[in-house]
Amino acid sequence: MSATSLPEIEIPEPVDAERSPVPQLPIWANPRVGLLVLLAVLVAVFSLLRPAFLNVTLNLVPMQADLSVLVIVGLAQMVVLSLGHMNLAVGRIAAVSTFAMGLVCDRFGVSVWIGLLVGLAVGAAIGALSGFTIATTGVNSFIVTLALDFALLGLVSLLYSWFTGGVSFATQPAGLSGLQFGSFHDYCLAGACGPQVPLVVLLALVAAVAVAVVFARLRLGRELLMIGSSPRAARLSGIAVPRRVVQAHALSGLLAALAGFVLAANNGAFTADIGKSFLLPSFLSPVLGGTALAGGAVSIVGTVMGAGLTEVIQQGLNLLNFTVDELQIYIGVVLLAALSLDRARHVLADRRATRT
Amino acid sequence: MRRLTIRGNDATLAALGVIGFGVLAATTHGNLLTGGTLRALFQFLAVPILVGLAQMVVLAVGQMNLSVGVLTGLCSMVMASLIVDAGLPAWLAVILGVMLGAAAGALNGILVVLTRINGFIVTLATLTIFSGLRFRVNGTGTYQNYSQRLISLGQGTVAGVPTVFVFALVVATLTSFFFRQTNAGRRLLATGGNPFAARLSGISNERSIVAAHMLSGLLAGTAAVVIVASSGSVNSSIGDDLLLPSFAAPIIAGVALSGGAVSVAGTCLAAFMVRLVDVAQAQYNINASWVDLIVGAVVFGAVLIEQLRQRAAAVAR
Repeated sequence: MSATSLPEIEIPEPVDAERSPVPQLPIWANPRVGLLVLLAVLVAVFSLLRPAFLNVTLNLVPMQADLSVLVIVGLAQMVVLSLGHMNLAVGRIAAVSTFAMGLVCDRFGVSVWIGLLVGLAVGAAIGALSGFTIATTGVNSFIVTLALDFALLGLVSLLYSWFTGGVSFATQPAGLSGLQFGSFHDYCLAGACGPQVPLVVLLALVAAVAVAVVFARLRLGRELLMIGSSPRAARLSGIAVPRRVVQAHALSGLLAALAGFVLAANNGAFTADIGKSFLLPSFLSPVLGGTALAGGAVSIVGTVMGAGLTEVIQQGLNLLNFTVDELQIYIGVVLLAALSLDRARHVLADRRATRT
Repeated sequence: MRRLTIRGNDATLAALGVIGFGVLAATTHGNLLTGGTLRALFQFLAVPILVGLAQMVVLAVGQMNLSVGVLTGLCSMVMASLIVDAGLPAWLAVILGVMLGAAAGALNGILVVLTRINGFIVTLATLTIFSGLRFRVNGTGTYQNYSQRLISLGQGTVAGVPTVFVFALVVATLTSFFFRQTNAGRRLLATGGNPFAARLSGISNERSIVAAHMLSGLLAGTAAVVIVASSGSVNSSIGDDLLLPSFAAPIIAGVALSGGAVSVAGTCLAAFMVRLVDVAQAQYNINASWVDLIVGAVVFGAVLIEQLRQRAAAVAR
């Protein structure tokens, strides 16, 4: 009896990475649509006020390089947000990992790619350590990563002063400058050259696609979202919650390390202050893109667009000769305004849904 | 139950503080007990206590205030600017600066309540806004010699104890009184402990959240008073290094992030512990970077012990 009725049971759809948490909302209530409109308007306004905004070599190329860092940092935070966790140590994990990259390249003279692999392993290991601590002790991820951030903050400057006697590696590893100034435009095939896109964009693209695959196709991603929506239900349905927590934090650490590497490539040096400015953007991009702090829903496209919005505002205001302090004020205001609008849209959409 | 564990924690912290102080005094051949060193120990304890309390009051309702350090810096800069640029008397500038802190805190709370955005994100946004404003006050310039009387008061002592430390203790006592004896304080704890139950018993959770954020801003303002009075010069980098200590003190004291419980004495004792690490660094002449490393470990260790204790208590029951 029960066996025959089994196929009739409706299986609830799993939370999809690219779907809004409230699926019945009209299209204009989707935060990504609002973001896209906002992005288009801002680009148009900045281009009108300063035509130099669209200058390819002076503005668009550096913007893409900066954007790559923001995207990867945002993804690093988004991966743990999917669980309802936070990673306050993204910046410092990036700093320690890039130190490891610099050390390997400096001492062993290996190519920058070997250094990258070592750094990624270090980042993933630190992330796994914080994930393991969270999973075994049950202490809030905010506290664990805050304590980790404290500890790594001290460690980074100690490591740099022990091994370099300063705050950066003097030698530039082989291959780093190629990455710093390299562009797809330099690669030509049968007379047709690539677009004016820096090489580092490829790293961000690979990261975004990989994270998208994790959340859309792999069991890991699905289980992370299930844990994020309800840790209890996830545990009761047989998900190995502690293992997934460790994996999510390891992935976050790995992405943080990658972000540190891309920033080092953009700057052309491995320095102690890498990752210093990562914390705010790491939350900005996913939250603007509709990823909830409570967990259970992520949006890779939204995170990329959120990073894009941050970068456009930063660069646009910069070109309009706004100073750094004014820039900070406006970015804070835009974040609040965008999220409030998002909230207002939701309320409106809910009202309309209940009326019909 | 919750209250009891925190009180147990206070005793542990007090014991650890005494032991740490004793060890430090013994290993530095009594150098710690000489007037100047001892005075400096307590002089620079005032700000960590006050920012720790500023974080504690928002943790009490289950919120966070990431803007607390930068707000302290903004208030300091505004106080100095009001004296130097606007020519106001020092006492008036100080009062206005503290009021600015309270107003900015209230703004945080109102934004949280109105937009329903997570308090973490709201205060992250206001952190950037306040840091921009803090820079706007005087750019890269430094204010000094703003008020000889204020500075001599801030660097002076009352019966051998630094005035600013006495001030911090008075503020801590008032905060403790607020949570223990007043209805408003109990309402905050009720909201933090169980918002649903609080609403059913007629408490406005919205009002509690705004009140807690306002109080947090007010306490940040009092920390700014201490900085302006005791440091003698202020610039736009003030407050940058206060965010982590503001979380360290209440977390070491065992104040839960989920809200509902506070420990004023524990927060003060935890700030003292962190200060001891600082002093040890100066006394032993160690690289200053060790301080962050050790404080991180202490924060984590304290949380871990608290967790183990709770588990043991649960098993015992």
